[in-house]
Formats: sequence, structure tokens, C-alpha cells
Amino acid sequence: MKRQVRIQQLGGAQAVILHRPHLNVLALTRQLRAIGLVVDEAWPELGAQALAADFIFFDADMGYDGQFPWPAGDAPMPMIAMIGSEAPGRIEWSLQIGAHAQLLKPITGSGVYSAVLIARDAFDRQRALAAEIADLRRRLDERQTVVRAVMLLMQRSKSEAEAYGQLRQMAMAWQISFEDAALRVVARYAAEGGDDQRNRG
Amino acid sequence: MKRRIALGLLHSGSGSYALLSQASLIGARAAIAAVNADAAMPVHFTPVQRDPGGNADAYGPLCEEILRDSPARHVVGCVTSLSRKEVIPSLEKLGGTLWYPLPYEGFEASDRVVYTHACPNQHLLPLLDWALPAHGRRVYLTGSNYIWGWEINRLARMTIVQAGGAVLGERYLPIGAQDVERMIDEIRATCPDFVLNSLVGASSYAFLRAYHALGLTDPRFTPERCPMLSCNLTECELAPLGEAAEGLIAAGPYFRGSSGWPGAAEFGSSHEAASYAAVTELARLLAYHGAGSEDWPLAHLLAGAGGPIDPGTHHTRLPVIIAQVRDGAFKVIQHRGDVLGDPFLSRNLTTAALPLRVVS
Repeated sequence: MKRQVRIQQLGGAQAVILHRPHLNVLALTRQLRAIGLVVDEAWPELGAQALAADFIFFDADMGYDGQFPWPAGDAPMPMIAMIGSEAPGRIEWSLQIGAHAQLLKPITGSGVYSAVLIARDAFDRQRALAAEIADLRRRLDERQTVVRAVMLLMQRSKSEAEAYGQLRQMAMAWQISFEDAALRVVARYAAEGGDDQRNRG
Repeated sequence: MKRRIALGLLHSGSGSYALLSQASLIGARAAIAAVNADAAMPVHFTPVQRDPGGNADAYGPLCEEILRDSPARHVVGCVTSLSRKEVIPSLEKLGGTLWYPLPYEGFEASDRVVYTHACPNQHLLPLLDWALPAHGRRVYLTGSNYIWGWEINRLARMTIVQAGGAVLGERYLPIGAQDVERMIDEIRATCPDFVLNSLVGASSYAFLRAYHALGLTDPRFTPERCPMLSCNLTECELAPLGEAAEGLIAAGPYFRGSSGWPGAAEFGSSHEAASYAAVTELARLLAYHGAGSEDWPLAHLLAGAGGPIDPGTHHTRLPVIIAQVRDGAFKVIQHRGDVLGDPFLSRNLTTAALPLRVVS
């Protein structure tokens, strides 16, 4: 699949730099503004405005868990680590806190634009994958409901294969997932006063 | 008493794109002469010239040589983006500034470079904005096989598809290659509404000659039916093209005789004009800030000094002009006023200068 990087929506996007006042911050601010972003600084903790930010740049050298108003690895926006010391411990912490891309100090203009695009892409993909996994997990959890729905449909003197086929037809007709159709079948039966448990065995 | 200030010139006297670098050098030299002859200007430039001979890998070391062996902190030159990217590490290492006076593909804002020619919101996007309604939305893309061709065509493809058009083909040639038959065959087979040519130097000349020959035998490929468009063609390349230049359409900040360029001087092409402007603007900044400012970092030099260069991006406010070669010279088709360079296309500066039109 060919991936297209979104370049257009960067104008006016908000970036917060979590770093003590430093030349690296000046260089980064200059470059982000040239790219078209609005830049804020914070240290040592991210203020409330961070929650509205589109990008967070954070110091990997002096950073610590308590700086972020969200659980480690759960940032609601792309995060870019500003790395000076490439010590494994610091890289580990950056990954744990949820870095989607990194910039090496001393920061010059080069690398900033690609870090922004790569971080956003990684964030988007991570988020899409998490949503997909949550959906799959939910559907897995509904396996029992599917079994119950098939059994209910089988009560109307159908074979298991026919009942299964009918449930699939219903899902398609209602334009919902197989598992959601099963939920409806079970709920409808319960509303009609039935208790499918009774018919077991 | 004038301050004598060394000024680096990094231009290739040979190689595939020598015509461009020579046009740029002519502009820079003319500006140096004008600055030096101007009694009211407290600055005298002493050129420090190096010739990379069209070899991209020679630019970095030669730029370093200028910055190391002479007092020059400012260098004018480079043609291709490849060469510009090669010199940026030298500039960072030795505290130099490059004044880059050629059109390029954008998406760069080095704090060591000033960009005095057009970027895509000043050439490609206005050109497509004019061409898509005027000629149609079925387009064939060509380019030289490096960042300029790739990025111009990527942006063109995005813009064309967003406008509901189609890219019928996209083909590249290595810099200097002249085997253009395949491109011509594909154009004949797909019959586009127009062709966007981002080839450079000898490849471009070979392609334009072959396309001109095709148009002589097949009326579907005349400039009226299927024009050839470019963001990098200027007067300095018309001579090797001869008859084949007739009908070519280009976007640029200056064409010979066009209006809107600051100052009264006449130039051979926009490459000359943008190089001339780079040197005169540097002289103005050095005069404005006074003695010692030639060693200042670029950010200080540009801060609060006014002028056409945006201190935020180091890109330049320039006229946006679309012109066509008629009877051997560019004639302006559309003058779209001045537009500030927007290298990351994040400020929507193109649309500000555009006339409103009905979207069909």
C-alpha cells in the first residue's frame, strides 16, 4: 500500500515544547514557526494548554514521568523526544513515555519537519491499530452471544448451518456486525419474555 | 570609505545545467559591479569564486573552502537542490550563509539559507491553477530523477487528483540522460491535455526538441492542443531550444520585460534577476546594520530590517507570472501579483492571490 503523508493541516497547528529554556528550544521554535506551527513552551510540567496541543516535544535528558497529565504511553497527540544523551536508559524512558519520533540535540533546522510528519503518522497508525484491536477484542467477547443467538434461531426448527446463515443475513440487512446482530436476536428474545437458558440441554 | 567585504560565488561553469548557473553568475556579478560602483553604498564586495563543474559532490567541499580560506561568510550560488543540501552542513559547521537564487521544490527553511527565487506556492500551484481550467485535467508528468522532479510531480499529482483530474503517466530520466523516446511514446499513446516538464538541462532540451518534432507531424501535440508547462524554464535556456521553444509555458517571478520586479534594471532571465536581488539585498542589509554585520548570524541580519525576505522562513515575496514563448520570447499570459514564499504550504498564501472561481 502506498502511504501518503498529510502535509496540509500543519498550518496553525499547536506545538508545546517541554524543555527548560535553552538554545535548543530557540532553534526548534524557529523551525516550527517556519513550518507554520504555533509554539508554546513549558517546564517543568505541561500546563493545561498541553491537552489542546497537536504535538508535544519533550526533553528526553531531564524528563520524568510526573511531567505529563496522562498515563505513560497514552498521550492524546504525537510526541517527539529531544534526545541529547543516547544512553539506553533515557531511550527506554522516551519509548515508555510514548515517543513517536525523535530529534537529536543540538537541534538545528534539519530533521524537525520529518520528525513532525513521522510522529503524526506513527501516532495515527497506533491509534487506528488500537481501535481495531479494541473492536476485535469486543467481538471476541461476544462469542458466547453468537452461540446463544444461533441456538435461539435453531429453535425454529433450523439446522445449525441455516441458523448461522440467517444470522449473517440479518447482520447484512441491518448493516451491523455479526456480533451486534447476535446481541439483537438475544435481546429481542429476552424482550418477548423468553428465556433461552431454559431450552438448553 | 567603503567596507570591503568578501562574497563567495559558487557556480558551475560546465556540466548539464551550466546555462542556469552561468545566468545566476551573470546576475550576481552584475549586482557586485553595481554595488561597488554605487558611491552611496558603504559596501564593496570582493568576489571569492569556486567552480564545482556541475558535480553535486564538489559543492560541499568548495563551499567549505570559501568559508575556511577567505573571510567570506555569505555565499551566492548552487543550482540543484541536491547541491544546496550538500552545502548546508558546511554552512552550519563554519557559520556561513547561502543565498540560493533558483526555483526549488520547497519544504525547507534552513536558518543558514536565504531563498530568493520561487517555491511551489509561487510557481507550481499558480501554474496548475491556471492550466487545469484552461486546458483540462488529464496530465502527463516528466522529471529529472532527483528531488526537484519527484517533489514537483508529487505536489502536481496531489493537486490534479484533488481537482478531479487524472495523471496519465509519470516518467523520470537521470540528470543528463537524453533517451526521451519512451516519454514521447507514452504521451502519444495517452494524449493528455497538457504535459508538465520538470526535467533539467540536457534531458529537458532533448525532450522538448522531440516533443516539438512530434507536434509538427501530429496536430494533437501542438502548443494549442497540448501545451508543455514548466516551473523552471527561463530565457537563459531558449537558445539551445531554438524553434522547439515556441509555445512553451512557464511560471516564474520575472520574464524579460515583465512588470513588478523591484528596481529599474533589466535582466536576461529570472535566474539573473533573483541572483542580482540576492546580492543587492545582502548589500542593503550590511549597509543598514553597519560595520561588522557581515559576520552576524543570518537571523540578526534579517531581524527588523524590512525588505522582501520573510525573517521567519527566509523566503522572498515575489511576483507570480505565467508566460508563454511566442516568436522567440516570453509573453506574459497572467500576472498574479506578489506572493510571499510559503515553503511548507502551511499558510495558504497561494489562494490569497487567486481570483475566485466556480468549482464544477
